[in-house]
Amino acid sequence: MVVNAEGIPIRTTLDNSTTVQYAGLLHQLTMKAKSTVRDIDPQNDLTFLRIRSKKHEIMVAPDKEYLLIAIQNPCE
Amino acid sequence: MPQAGSLCVWRIQNCLTFPAFRSGGAGAKVASDCAGAGVGGGGGAVSTVTRAQPWQLCRAGSAGAEALASGGAANTERPERPGPLQDETLGVASVPSQWRGVQGIRGETKSCQTASTATAEAPAQTRKHVDAEVQTEAPEPVSLQPVPQCDGPRLVAFLRRVEAMVTRELNKNWQSHAFDGFEVNWSEQQQTVTCLHTLGYPPAQGQGLHVTGVSWNTTGSVVACAYGRLDDGDWSTLKSFVCAWNLDRRGLNPQQPSAVVEVPSAVMCLAFHPTQPSHVAGGLYNGEVLVWDVSHPEDPLLWRTGLTDDAHTDPVYQVVWLPGPQHGHRFQVLSVAADGKVLLWLAVGAGRLQLSAGFALAVQQLPRSTKLKKPPRGETEVGATAVAFSSFDPSLFVLGTEGGFPLKCSLAAEEPALTRMPSSVPLRAPAQFTFSPHGGPVYSVSCSPFHRNLFLSAGTDGHVHLYSMLQAQPLTSLQLSHKYLFAVRWSPVRPLVFAAASGEGDVQLFDLQKSSQKPTVSIKQTQDESPVYCLEFNRQQTQLLAAGDAKGVVKVWQLSSEFTEQGPRETEDLDQLAAEVAT
Repeated sequence: MVVNAEGIPIRTTLDNSTTVQYAGLLHQLTMKAKSTVRDIDPQNDLTFLRIRSKKHEIMVAPDKEYLLIAIQNPCE
Repeated sequence: MPQAGSLCVWRIQNCLTFPAFRSGGAGAKVASDCAGAGVGGGGGAVSTVTRAQPWQLCRAGSAGAEALASGGAANTERPERPGPLQDETLGVASVPSQWRGVQGIRGETKSCQTASTATAEAPAQTRKHVDAEVQTEAPEPVSLQPVPQCDGPRLVAFLRRVEAMVTRELNKNWQSHAFDGFEVNWSEQQQTVTCLHTLGYPPAQGQGLHVTGVSWNTTGSVVACAYGRLDDGDWSTLKSFVCAWNLDRRGLNPQQPSAVVEVPSAVMCLAFHPTQPSHVAGGLYNGEVLVWDVSHPEDPLLWRTGLTDDAHTDPVYQVVWLPGPQHGHRFQVLSVAADGKVLLWLAVGAGRLQLSAGFALAVQQLPRSTKLKKPPRGETEVGATAVAFSSFDPSLFVLGTEGGFPLKCSLAAEEPALTRMPSSVPLRAPAQFTFSPHGGPVYSVSCSPFHRNLFLSAGTDGHVHLYSMLQAQPLTSLQLSHKYLFAVRWSPVRPLVFAAASGEGDVQLFDLQKSSQKPTVSIKQTQDESPVYCLEFNRQQTQLLAAGDAKGVVKVWQLSSEFTEQGPRETEDLDQLAAEVAT
């Protein structure tokens, strides 16, 4: 799904309630991750965020205006 | 005559010539003479020089001395008066005593009175009224915000930028082995299965009653068990009990239940209400279905069916709570009995359970999907011994029968049943599909909470069959015991785990992921191999499993962590298992 800079989903392939939930939570987490990277090294910046859980993997590609979130079931 | 030897010169000459210096001897002599004369003359008033002396000077000198001497004496002669430190007596200051004197009452009386209130009567009446309806609006479904058009090109540019990166990561994940075998443990692992509580009710155990049913309540903190006998072939007027223990209470006494209900006939099965923590339904040996409230020990009976024409005529083997027909908060009870009837009861006032719908199984109406043994002549009913509802389709249920074949049934079936039994509500034939039979009666069925097509059935032949709804032959058949199997249940958290209670006194836990041939854990419940009749998982506290046996003891087992946490790919494995349907 694609989320804009305020955490509002713009395009999605999932159902509405799941999309809204993912968008809100991942937007906050991405902001936190970005500030963490910048705090450690001000010249550095966040390029990609991957969260791996028991059931699937969430990938977030951040940008100035948008966020692209992809959820994948890894094959083991 | 001047004395001889002195130098004093008697001069009678001019007394005024006053020589300043005289010879001392002569002067002294003269002075002493004068002094003698003056002193002799003192002591009185100012004396005049009475002596006519030759020298006037001497007389002046002595006169001064005399005056001086008499002045001092004259000072001492003054008149008398009182000094500063003398005692005086002044007057006395006193206050007259007022004790016992009449004080005199000083008071005033005043009175007040509220002014009288003015009242008036006037009628009032609404002349016109307006009706208005109030309705809470359903919450608006969460909707996506419409995107303004001008964002289009920027969105496209963004997607072009990130697409390559994301697809690269996605592809890497498909082939990645980085996380193979990597598992994180967030909570403490428990390695073994332990018995947390051993609960029993001594009076029931004294009568030699078996535990015929256990149930956890909706909050997962109360476990109730039903006492009865499973091996009686006869009508019995044995008194039996339903006992409930609250495991979360402090000071839990395993021999003393927190609630005991005395029941006139043996209770065969038990089920707690899905939302009310204290309502429990039970089916009796004489065919009645009762609902109790275990929070009121003095009057627990809420509703009963009574022994009417509508009720069952054979022991009720299982009761299940279902949502009511209007999808409100009302629930109805479904009871399954050996007379082939499946009845739905609704609670109406005055403590009665009224039949709302019913089904009857008749041999002629069973779908001929598998070859069944021809029943003895004259028997048309098929006794039902177990029921399980699908968690994906609320009107679909599976019945286990005395003939050993599970039946797929639906609540929405329309065809009327061919039965001679009288009933106030027309009975319908529910069966839609017949599965391939066990070697003996089926005592328990359980539908998988994770897959819509899978269910288990366990019977007296000691086998557990895993069926898929799509075919009559079981997918797998496992022999767990050489004696009967009394209960089988899917685990509520792990898609591939189920538990079975055997007649050899142990509870066997199967993990189909680990091994499909032998049980992963086999818990010995009774020491002398008396059978375990029933078991239930706790849906709230997923590590607890309650099992009741023939000794009248309910044991609450705490399972090891491998049974309580879902592994990474279990749902997919389950799907794979279900897909092994022979085409």
